[in-house]
Amino acid sequence: MSTSPAATPRAEPSVEGVRELPGFDRGRPVYFENEVIDHLLTIVLELGAEVWTLRDRQAFTEELLARRGIDLAAELETGRPSDALQAKLKSERAATIRRVYGSLYSKYGGNDVAQRAAILQND
Amino acid sequence: MTTAQTVYPRGKVAGMYPALDTRREEAYVDFVEDARNFLLHAQQRPIGDYSRRLLQEAGLPDSPDGATTRRSMELLMQEPTLKTFYRLKRSLQESFWNALLRSYGGRRETLLAALDAAEARGPGTLQYDPGYQPPDYTKVDIHLQPGGYSGEPLAGFLYDFGLKVFMGGAADKDFVAVNAARAAGVPADGQVHRILDLGCSAGATTTALKRQHPGAEVTGIDVSAAMLRYAHLRAIEQDVEVHFRQMPAESLRFADGHFDMVLAMLLFHEVPATVGRRIVEEAFRVLRPGGTFSVLDFSGDRERDLYSMFFAEMDAADNGEPYLPGYVHSNVEEVMREVGFEMQPYDPRAALTRGRIGIKPAN
Repeated sequence: MSTSPAATPRAEPSVEGVRELPGFDRGRPVYFENEVIDHLLTIVLELGAEVWTLRDRQAFTEELLARRGIDLAAELETGRPSDALQAKLKSERAATIRRVYGSLYSKYGGNDVAQRAAILQND
Repeated sequence: MTTAQTVYPRGKVAGMYPALDTRREEAYVDFVEDARNFLLHAQQRPIGDYSRRLLQEAGLPDSPDGATTRRSMELLMQEPTLKTFYRLKRSLQESFWNALLRSYGGRRETLLAALDAAEARGPGTLQYDPGYQPPDYTKVDIHLQPGGYSGEPLAGFLYDFGLKVFMGGAADKDFVAVNAARAAGVPADGQVHRILDLGCSAGATTTALKRQHPGAEVTGIDVSAAMLRYAHLRAIEQDVEVHFRQMPAESLRFADGHFDMVLAMLLFHEVPATVGRRIVEEAFRVLRPGGTFSVLDFSGDRERDLYSMFFAEMDAADNGEPYLPGYVHSNVEEVMREVGFEMQPYDPRAALTRGRIGIKPAN
């Protein structure tokens, strides 16, 4: 495949001022007079996603069990998770809480756990 | 375990996209995609009608200047419904990118190794410079994609799956790219030996062009190494012979008259208008007489009413589209004519599906 330099070098087109355009930097828009409303809407969306994800997982679990001829419905209600699973659930629960409710502290980056820890240390 | 199973342990979805790493993330993103379809896409028309009525009642002129557009933003963003729409739009956009980054990012080393391994393989070739610095104006988180197209090594994976979510499923099986390749203007003499795809990103249009014109040599260019590396891997996986090169569309390293067809799919609204004009000039230069330049993008003319300008300004600020308002004013078809193209009949309502097609005159 043949390529060659452009016949005549030309000045770059002017892109002066693009960094000042709305949207060039990511920003953190707030739409309501009270930003808590912004956070609550974000939280409602995240909760919807969490609920859906669980429904999907539950349905898939039941199908996987049924494929193996296993009915665990009763034991799911009366049994107790192992220590390992309980530790895993604790970690996942923390991540879920962070994701669902984190927007409440997004103003100063507190929705990011690492940043939140740094902020607290600086305090 | 085969290489494909190592790289894509859960296979691919919708014909093209590497599946997310867990069913959990998949279900989460499915929810976001469907929520977007209902809360955003299905509301475009009713919320537009509602907004236009509010603007009309306020007596604002419908041929906006900058001050009128700012007044429309102040007015409409007082409305709880509009606030809700834009809040949800922003939150849904951020949530699916975060999910994609969690999922693909969890296997970052494996995916980067797959890109490395693909570099020397064919069909097709890849050339890029690891030290290349893309122009400053490209350093935007377009559509809020984390790191933009150049700042995140997994950008190609993120972009590709992001497009699936963004288009609400309409991009599945590369349908949008296949349509673009079919719409691209073919020279009247039917001679198609070399085709150039400008700003090719993940290379879906590039491979679709090769399938549409199997006898032609098809090249895709982009400024982003991350995108080109992914595009090359994607083309190899589809066994399509295309070539990827790293360069900006406004400064092409090809000889005059080298191509029979040049295409720009959804590129112009992502660059400043001054760069857009230079891209048209470069397309004209690298086309042979009788060659065609096809620009598939949003319409400029039709979107000049006040609500459309409001929408463009909001998309600019909230969705990482800083150049969209300037694009809406820029009238690419006029620029193409000024640069020397003879324009085929153009329907602004089909700007994205059939596009603006210019022919480089014989003399």
